Amino acid sequence: MPLWLLTLIALTYSEAFKDHLANPRNAGELANANAVGEETNPVCGDRLRLYLQVKAGRIEAARFLAYGCPPTLVCGSILTELIKGRSVEEATRLTRKDLLAALGGLPSRKQHAAALAIETLRAAIASV
Amino acid sequence: MNDSRKVYLDHSATTPVDPRVVAAMLPYFTQKFGNASSVHFFGQEARAAVDRARREVAALIGARANEIVFLSGGTEANNLAIRGVCEAASGHSRHLITSTIEHSSVRGICEGLGKSGWEITRLPAYEEGVVQAEDVRAALRPNTVLISVMLANNEIGTIQPIEEIAALVREERARGRRQLWFHTDAVQAAGRIPLHVDTLGCDLLSLSAHKLYAPKGAGALFVRRGVRLVSQNVGGHQEREKRAGTEGVPGIVAFGAAAKLAREEMAERSQHDQRLRDRFEAGVTERIGNVVFNGDRGRRLPHLSNISFRFIEGEGLLISLDLQGIAVSTGSACSSGTLEPSPVIRALGRNDELARGAIRFSFGKDNTEQDVEYVLEVLPRVVEKLRALSPLNREEMGRRDLEAIGQN
Ligand SMILES: Cc1ncc(COP(=O)(O)O)c(C=O)c1O
Repeated sequence: MPLWLLTLIALTYSEAFKDHLANPRNAGELANANAVGEETNPVCGDRLRLYLQVKAGRIEAARFLAYGCPPTLVCGSILTELIKGRSVEEATRLTRKDLLAALGGLPSRKQHAAALAIETLRAAIASV
Repeated sequence: MNDSRKVYLDHSATTPVDPRVVAAMLPYFTQKFGNASSVHFFGQEARAAVDRARREVAALIGARANEIVFLSGGTEANNLAIRGVCEAASGHSRHLITSTIEHSSVRGICEGLGKSGWEITRLPAYEEGVVQAEDVRAALRPNTVLISVMLANNEIGTIQPIEEIAALVREERARGRRQLWFHTDAVQAAGRIPLHVDTLGCDLLSLSAHKLYAPKGAGALFVRRGVRLVSQNVGGHQEREKRAGTEGVPGIVAFGAAAKLAREEMAERSQHDQRLRDRFEAGVTERIGNVVFNGDRGRRLPHLSNISFRFIEGEGLLISLDLQGIAVSTGSACSSGTLEPSPVIRALGRNDELARGAIRFSFGKDNTEQDVEYVLEVLPRVVEKLRALSPLNREEMGRRDLEAIGQN
């Protein structure tokens, strides 16, 4: 991809992205969570915490808290939407690419946010 | 509130061009288009316009017209001042003094000089964002060539003790010292507070047109008579051999017109900006908790406010405000998982959280009370929304923590 195109993408976030930033889904704590995961990006300090309510191998509810740059907040929001109602097994197979596709792509310098979200999901699932 | 409302609060980044300035520059594109170095009528007309602009820019800072070098902007002015003086002096001496809160252009220039063997002392600005003249005295060495300390900071607006530093330089000269020069970057201060190069006592001073309602691409360096510097742009005789290249006449004419307006309207403009800024800060204090004002509030430019919002990060706040039509800026940048919190806010000794949560609001002459009211309505909502997402928030408020939930 030519550099100018990369720069252009870096400067513009998708409509889906802006929507999640303005109206985060499933934000906050989950009172009856039975699984929780938290990961911190050691370099930039971005943090994501994911609460899950898992019943009979299925994710009934998911909520998140996040601190960091907008992609981190948005990835938290989108992640909860993607996993709600899915089986734990399906959620385990979710990748960074799925997340990126759901939010209409991220500039390459911001893709670490999606990686943080997937790591947090794995940590939460591991705590079930 | 109207959805399409736009409020520009980033006047420290750049200002809109004043329509009176546009009117002044327009004839120099199509009718009076001559090259200021040409001998014929067209050239003479352009030359006269450049000289008029030179007098106006000189008048804004109390300089003589022949002490003004026109160039492309603040960055180039800083390059010519610092590199120019250092190159002229290298051989005998290789030490320069600057501060930890300089504009990125000065930081970059000093870094470059450091790589080519210059010793650089970077003075602290302490918690208040103000350099101490005593620290300059302590840093002076027999081989110090240049002191470069900005007049007012671009992120927090703090005004530096330029006159005191100049007094030190004068003392050194009185002791017979020749090769010691004092440069100040006045890009943010010009047009906002009164400046006079003789009161300030500096030898070189940088200006940029686009911060005072003129177009981008013009600037000036004040070079006091007797200061030796090496031109950084060679291959022509323009600007008294200090800056080769055909003068950008329309931009220079605009700069002159803007400088004249800035001088005539300075009191009015700064009162206006300060009234809005103070109203804004009072509103923020009233409506939003856990905020930290950055920079000495009693020693700041009148138009600027820098605030750290705890528990949240600046870029999220910036983009959320942008979605509501409010334009502000942040000094921090996060990319590829590396974090660069604003070096200026870090220099004040603030932690990463506060440095990342710092936002600059800078007011201008066209802002209105309604603008401030709109921002005061939107900002608390946006901050609250982002804080509702933040895990830092909960920890601080002593809500139940991870472990408690884990034991459920
Ligand atoms: C303090 C300071 N110095 C220098 C500059 C650079 O000026 P210019 O944009 O004209 O190169 C700026 C502009 O951001 C500034 O704020």
